[in-house]
Amino acid sequence: MFRRRGRYASIVLILPALAVYGLFILYPLVRGVLLSFTDNTGGPTDAFVGLKQYSALIHDPTALQALRHTVIYAAVVLVVQTGLGLSAAALLSRRPHIRRVVSSMLLLPALISPVMASFIWSYLYRPDGGIDTLLGDVGLGVLRQTWLGDPSIALYAIAAVNIWMFAGYSCVIFLAGYAGIPAELLDAADIDGATRWQRFRKVEWAMLAPSLTVNVTISLIGSLGVFDFPLVLTNGGPVGSTNTLALLIYRDIFNNSDFAMGAATAVLLLVLVVVVSSAASAVLRRRERVL
Amino acid sequence: MTDTDLTSTVTRPAAPPPPAVAVRPRRRRGVVVDCLLVLVALAFITPFLFTLVASFRTSGDIARNPLGLPHHLTIANYRTSIDQIRYGSSVLNTLLLTLASCVAVSIIGAAASYPLGRLTSHLSSMVYRLFVIGLTIPIFVIIAPLYLLMRDLHLLDSRIGLVIIYTALNLPVSVFFYTSFVRQIPVQLEEAAALDGCGPLRTFFSIVFPLLRPITGTLLTFVSLQVWNNLVVPLVFLQDASKSTVMANAYSFADPHTLQPTQLFPAALLGALPLFLLFLVFQRQVVEGMTQGAVK
Repeated sequence: MFRRRGRYASIVLILPALAVYGLFILYPLVRGVLLSFTDNTGGPTDAFVGLKQYSALIHDPTALQALRHTVIYAAVVLVVQTGLGLSAAALLSRRPHIRRVVSSMLLLPALISPVMASFIWSYLYRPDGGIDTLLGDVGLGVLRQTWLGDPSIALYAIAAVNIWMFAGYSCVIFLAGYAGIPAELLDAADIDGATRWQRFRKVEWAMLAPSLTVNVTISLIGSLGVFDFPLVLTNGGPVGSTNTLALLIYRDIFNNSDFAMGAATAVLLLVLVVVVSSAASAVLRRRERVL
Repeated sequence: MTDTDLTSTVTRPAAPPPPAVAVRPRRRRGVVVDCLLVLVALAFITPFLFTLVASFRTSGDIARNPLGLPHHLTIANYRTSIDQIRYGSSVLNTLLLTLASCVAVSIIGAAASYPLGRLTSHLSSMVYRLFVIGLTIPIFVIIAPLYLLMRDLHLLDSRIGLVIIYTALNLPVSVFFYTSFVRQIPVQLEEAAALDGCGPLRTFFSIVFPLLRPITGTLLTFVSLQVWNNLVVPLVFLQDASKSTVMANAYSFADPHTLQPTQLFPAALLGALPLFLLFLVFQRQVVEGMTQGAVK
């Protein structure tokens, strides 16, 4: 089609998308890196200051803490969310009667926004809120916590909301993977006398490699850039124990107009995302290729 | 079924076939596990059910017994909440933004994906890869320079500015979906159109774009979810609350730390309501839209 009519038509078709994407995503991406070498605070002019922002960044305990929180958060969400999603999918894969209704129920939290989920959970987590009352009612009062007020727990409490929202999403993705496993393969394993665990370990786990890749990628991208949950639930507190990189970038722009610092923090986030996601995809793609 | 069939079934001794005896305990166990799983799933969505019930209770009633059943129901909470988070105008704004972004993302994205899916040149695969990079970049990576850019273009605090940002943010997923779909469409249709003297642009609009309908549905559910639920974009790029979205106004006007649950819960449910309706109507497309990547 395009060969016959020359390049004119294909350029006309690609151009709008490339222009919007280039101007509003790629250009800021490049300009952000340049911005991080300046002292821009939103004024009309700025000066080149070399690595000053970066040296401030690595000497700033808040930023290093936020980096650590972001990594811990992403790791916890990745492992627990994917683990729960996989377990649910494994249980549901051979229960056609309830698969649809249960997976729809599990998917429900993924439809509300993080803001709305945070509204609900901020009440449940309150000192006299839903969870503590429930624990008291069933005689487990000793387990009561100030969930969002304790610096050693708050980050995990927020991760739990994230996991609650998206575990069902993870389950549905794994179920799509299960639907792609040929029934003969599972039957063959059964006929060979494989136990439930052996069948999962040797057949299903291997065949689910592509859906695992999708799950890991989605969960990493989402949780490394996490913002809504800590903003609404704790606003980074108590004593900075739930600050994430995204939250710091937002504050740099919104509260301090320190665009250069925001850009330097953003470069740190970009490096983190690129390193983590290429490491993950190298491992996962190799698994898929073995298949 | 004829009479004879019926009598023969009735008169036949009700001896169960032998395998049934062996199967039955296992099947019964299956039913028990099924019920357990449904119960676990119910426990999982309990926070919703609790929120739903509590949103109709009075604040004194909740304070006395947070987990109890309501004594009498009231919709007064909802009235307060609707005013507080400026629900009416927020919903309208969010709907408009979502619609405009969906139209732009699907048309521009599909137009670019058609040649990208057909051409095999080095350049076109490079452009495609450039788009796909965008799938992994969190908005926070570009938000500082994007803010300066929008300011310089006088697109701050503007609805059009927001539509542009949402379109740009969702173009990668759009190009990713459409390109893989275009590659599955047989070329013969387009060749026939070309023989009839139809140029590439007309071929795209009158033949290819309509063929992309199934994937467009999937894409649009995905994009609507993104746009509707997004918080940071309106928060950073809009100042005027009367232009702002449901999520941004809910965040700005309902502080979860000081509000009574009677004010908080209606806000949470009202914010989610339009998407729940969408989910009920388009249940299949939503599930597909959210899992599309898994089969690719």
